[in-house]
Amino acid sequence: MGAAEILDERKASIKAGGEAGIKCGSASVSGAVSQRACVYCGARVVLNPITDAFHIVHGPIGCASYTWDIRGSLTSGSGLYRHSFSTDLREEDIVFGGAGKLARALREVAEKKRPKLIFVYSTCIVGVIGDDVEAVCREAEKRHRVRVVPVQSAGFSGTKSHGYRLACEALMRLIRPRQGTAGKEERAGVNILGDFNLAGEMWIIRNYLREIGIPVQAAFTGDSSHDSLIRAPRAALNLVQCAGSMTHLAKMMEAEMGIPYMKVSFFGVEDTTTALRRTAEAAGTERNIALAKAFTDRETRRLCAFSEKYRPRLEGRKAAVYVGGGFKAISLIRQFRAMGMETMVVGTQTGQPEDYEIIGGLVGPGAVVLDDANPAELERFMREKGVDILVGGVKERPLAYKLGIAFCDHNHERKHALAGYEGVVNFTREVHLSMNSPVWECLGRAR
Amino acid sequence: MSKDLVNLNVNPCKMCMPMGSVTAFYGLAGCMTILHGSQGCSTYIRRHLATHFNEPIDIASSSLTEEGTVFGGEKNLVKGLDNLIRLYDPAVIGVSTTCLAETIGEDIPGIIRSYRQNRPGLKAKIVTVSSAGYAGTQYEGFFRALRALVEQVEPETERHGGINVVTGPVSPADARWLRECLAETGLDCILLPDPSSNLDGGATKKYERLPRGGVALGDIARMAGAAHTIELAEFVPEEASPALYLNRRHGVPFTRLPLPVGLRDMDRLAELLASLGGRRPPRLEEARSRRLDAMVDSHKYSAGVRAAVFGEPDFVYAVSRLLCENGALPVLAATGSRLPGFADRVRPDIEKAAAYRMEEDFSLLDDCDFETIESEAVRLGANVLVGSSDARRIAERRRLPLVRAAFPVHDRVGGQRIRTLGYEGGLDLLDRIVNAVLGSVEASFREELKEKYYLERESRPAAEPPGAGEAALAANRLRSGRHPCFNGGGYARIHLPVAPNCNIQCNYCVRDFSCPNESRPGVTARVVTPGEAAARFVAFRDASENLSVAGIAGPGDALADWELTRETLRLIRAADPDVILCLSTNGLLLPRHVREMAALGVSHLTVTVNAVDPAVGAAICRQVDYLGTRYHGEAGAAILMANQFAGIAMAIESGIVCKMNTVMLKGVNDGHIPLIAAKARELGCVLGNIMRMAPAKGSVFADSPPVSNREIGAMRKRCGVHLRQMAHCRQCRADAAGRLDEDRSILFAGGGDEPAGERQPGFFRFAVSSKGGVLKEKR
Repeated sequence: MGAAEILDERKASIKAGGEAGIKCGSASVSGAVSQRACVYCGARVVLNPITDAFHIVHGPIGCASYTWDIRGSLTSGSGLYRHSFSTDLREEDIVFGGAGKLARALREVAEKKRPKLIFVYSTCIVGVIGDDVEAVCREAEKRHRVRVVPVQSAGFSGTKSHGYRLACEALMRLIRPRQGTAGKEERAGVNILGDFNLAGEMWIIRNYLREIGIPVQAAFTGDSSHDSLIRAPRAALNLVQCAGSMTHLAKMMEAEMGIPYMKVSFFGVEDTTTALRRTAEAAGTERNIALAKAFTDRETRRLCAFSEKYRPRLEGRKAAVYVGGGFKAISLIRQFRAMGMETMVVGTQTGQPEDYEIIGGLVGPGAVVLDDANPAELERFMREKGVDILVGGVKERPLAYKLGIAFCDHNHERKHALAGYEGVVNFTREVHLSMNSPVWECLGRAR
Repeated sequence: MSKDLVNLNVNPCKMCMPMGSVTAFYGLAGCMTILHGSQGCSTYIRRHLATHFNEPIDIASSSLTEEGTVFGGEKNLVKGLDNLIRLYDPAVIGVSTTCLAETIGEDIPGIIRSYRQNRPGLKAKIVTVSSAGYAGTQYEGFFRALRALVEQVEPETERHGGINVVTGPVSPADARWLRECLAETGLDCILLPDPSSNLDGGATKKYERLPRGGVALGDIARMAGAAHTIELAEFVPEEASPALYLNRRHGVPFTRLPLPVGLRDMDRLAELLASLGGRRPPRLEEARSRRLDAMVDSHKYSAGVRAAVFGEPDFVYAVSRLLCENGALPVLAATGSRLPGFADRVRPDIEKAAAYRMEEDFSLLDDCDFETIESEAVRLGANVLVGSSDARRIAERRRLPLVRAAFPVHDRVGGQRIRTLGYEGGLDLLDRIVNAVLGSVEASFREELKEKYYLERESRPAAEPPGAGEAALAANRLRSGRHPCFNGGGYARIHLPVAPNCNIQCNYCVRDFSCPNESRPGVTARVVTPGEAAARFVAFRDASENLSVAGIAGPGDALADWELTRETLRLIRAADPDVILCLSTNGLLLPRHVREMAALGVSHLTVTVNAVDPAVGAAICRQVDYLGTRYHGEAGAAILMANQFAGIAMAIESGIVCKMNTVMLKGVNDGHIPLIAAKARELGCVLGNIMRMAPAKGSVFADSPPVSNREIGAMRKRCGVHLRQMAHCRQCRADAAGRLDEDRSILFAGGGDEPAGERQPGFFRFAVSSKGGVLKEKR
């Protein structure tokens, strides 16, 4: 089979570096084998790291089965979020409705487990069979005195990005001060939005902020809990790390609570340094700014020596990036550039027009930019551009290997941190170890 | 069977129908699958398959949107088919439905009919499968796809002497073996499906987007004219069985056999193939002989295996039979599929194996989740888990080895190469199971046997300064050698009855002061003040050679009267820097006082925990007084349990060596005690003590059936799997003094004012008792 053709409907979503006007944010093309998941997935990945919540999937078993503890979000407290709870709807429930089953489940959980917070995710068919999940949750919340937040995440009701929005709205519903409880205390410190504590990354970021003297009120949602999240309105600034999933929450918090936000990235030396210095400037005093400068200078110096050691093995190689959101792709392109590597193929599942604008400006005209790419396109362009390594998720890994291309897992299942200065060390090592492995020589594919 | 949340599936032991149907389609040559539904289904399934098989998995989706859901998804499906044909140019297209497509009532056959009509040049064969996620598990979905293939592929009914062999989901390596095994018989065999190369491909110069291996369409057509069908699956519903269809529609006779994992089942397959005219290759005989030899080699180790087997029904059944014929006991056989006949089918083999092992208790479950599997595995004392990597969290929590032998394996490489079939494959699996158990034994037997049998006195270590952390714990564990309840044979202890009040009410307990001849926990001749207690301690120490422990065990709860207990501990420590300080408590106030206890030098602690489930706890303890409120039933039991667990964990963190006492109550908590023992181990207790309860007169349980010595012994043995058990408990009084096998309390009961040393040391009274229980509140 030769190079795959590009489907007509997909052509507008594929541009050369620097070319403007990429089509993005639309529904996936049927039959094109999109790498995206669904609305439910988007909502679940954002909310799942809330450690002490009951995450109940209302629907048939599949959705719960495939999302059971598959992500590497770590916890310092409850381990409840690592369980999978489902109403496990069967044929008879489809016929007679599943609302009763859900109500019984909520009652049982409330009475036996006394949690502070329950999320109920509706999946595809729940809307179709007409279960009034909103009403069941409202009733349960009143009767059992526990927060029960419905997430109407029918898989077909949009793209994964829509799921992010729903998650943001669920979070807003949770943290919105209820009547009479609005705090009068002075605002201080920051919230971190859009880090899921994969491999302890939220802890790393918190440690950095502690170094520069900036207190953290709440973290969305890595290693968070009901009680930690509801402190969010006390913050003076929101730092948005995963812009794709959390900008909506940041905007809502700005509109309703007057908390400004700032997009930052903690991937790569440059981005981490910029993020810390800007945070100190925006939320701190002269002292914090000085601390940030000293800390980032020290870390950068430390990494300089490290990078020099690796650079000869990386320089001049070519990379492909296929990740979930635009902001991560941008950071990765910068990181590769710092390593002396050029990114030739860039794609995201849920990038926004403004992300693609930046990406287009970062890569050269010889590169290709894709929104919602499929395996056939990735195969074609990775071959065409002669890339040495792909950064992506687990679904793309076997494809890269079959094509004789190295791979770096930047998805949610990894067990090592890629954020912050520590992350730079791990990332550089991983890229080297995969790209320069002796197995490629055995295969006769050494470049 | 115990299930905590009955209205929820907690940690599913099953996946959905579309997962099964696309897996089956991967056993076809040149096949591409499209799921008619929303985008997520295909992505999730791809991710699951890709991590297990380590192969690129491409599954298209019709990507149904809101509009398609409301007005019908035909447009999406048609466009999806067009696009995937342009990208992959497949020979076969599997169209599987999802929950969504089935619920909105899509007429798939109709859509496909008109699709074919509108595309006269269409080369690909389209096969449709109805696979709503809620109508079954991946197991049923797998067979529905196979059934759809034999039904929808134009049959070639011309008779030929070939044999059809149909399997459920087996690994590519097993499929490869099966294909070769069939080829060696010289029979013309058609294997449906054959994922051996599509899901376990090689590194080729040129990557093929469309999987080319597997069974060809033409061979599926020829199945209608075969001489026989062998279906290696015994739980397939009739309407999904390819063998049954070929039989009814085309008159092909069939035999259903279990997966050839066990020796007997491989024998049956070999015999059947021979009876159908196949050669018996000499290699097969050699393999069989080697298998028999290996079974003998490991039979005594097999006899130590207590396995919890879970997964798809054919897998569980076949593995259970493998274990049983080797003398291993599957204490739990569980499947996530709803399958009412499952237990009856699996029972005879396991019953026989249990009889050989002289055991009665085992569990056979269908339609169950991992919450149930975990609690049953623990209750039944399983020592190895066999199934998919989905049990890895149980393995981690319960410190049980897990043999990953079935899909999905997400945390190890090589899922595609797992072998379970044939004389070699079945042996490979048996070896892995036996070795897992041998590995656990090897890692622990030295320490366990030393703990159990080595009772020699160690030279008295210098008193450790009280402190927190692991070092303190290690030092305190060393001192257990001088504590008669933990390890120290020959040493004496004194219980100081300073704490009269209790903050919970157990149903077996009537609090009362007792006559000095009664010996049971909670009983004392009289309560003494801290000052009297210290004097009594000094008197007894000076009169005895071997006093090593001063303990407070009530007569109420040591922590309910914390000020008295604290003062006593302080005075004793001041009088003797070396004596081991020990407490016994119900644990309710443990989190509150444990740090201070550690600081005062308490090194050993016993907590009585009678339940780890509030429902069971409520049946034992009827009220709990906590922070000024009286709680009843499950609410009280839940508070008690939570504080016990937190308190024990904190105690161990602070360096205190912990033991857990449990009162065995027939018909109330006896089935539940192994779970308590497992919890004790999880928390880090070093010793368990299961006690008999002879209910106090006037208590709620006064007329409960007594527990026999044999029953206590059996329960201790069962719990010994989880935690070392104390076998020498004498259930002593709250003012006991002396070695465990002698009680000299009466000599010292008068308080400290008369030095006991002045008494005649010859009049020791021995009070050995087997009663449990007890203490009555008296104001």
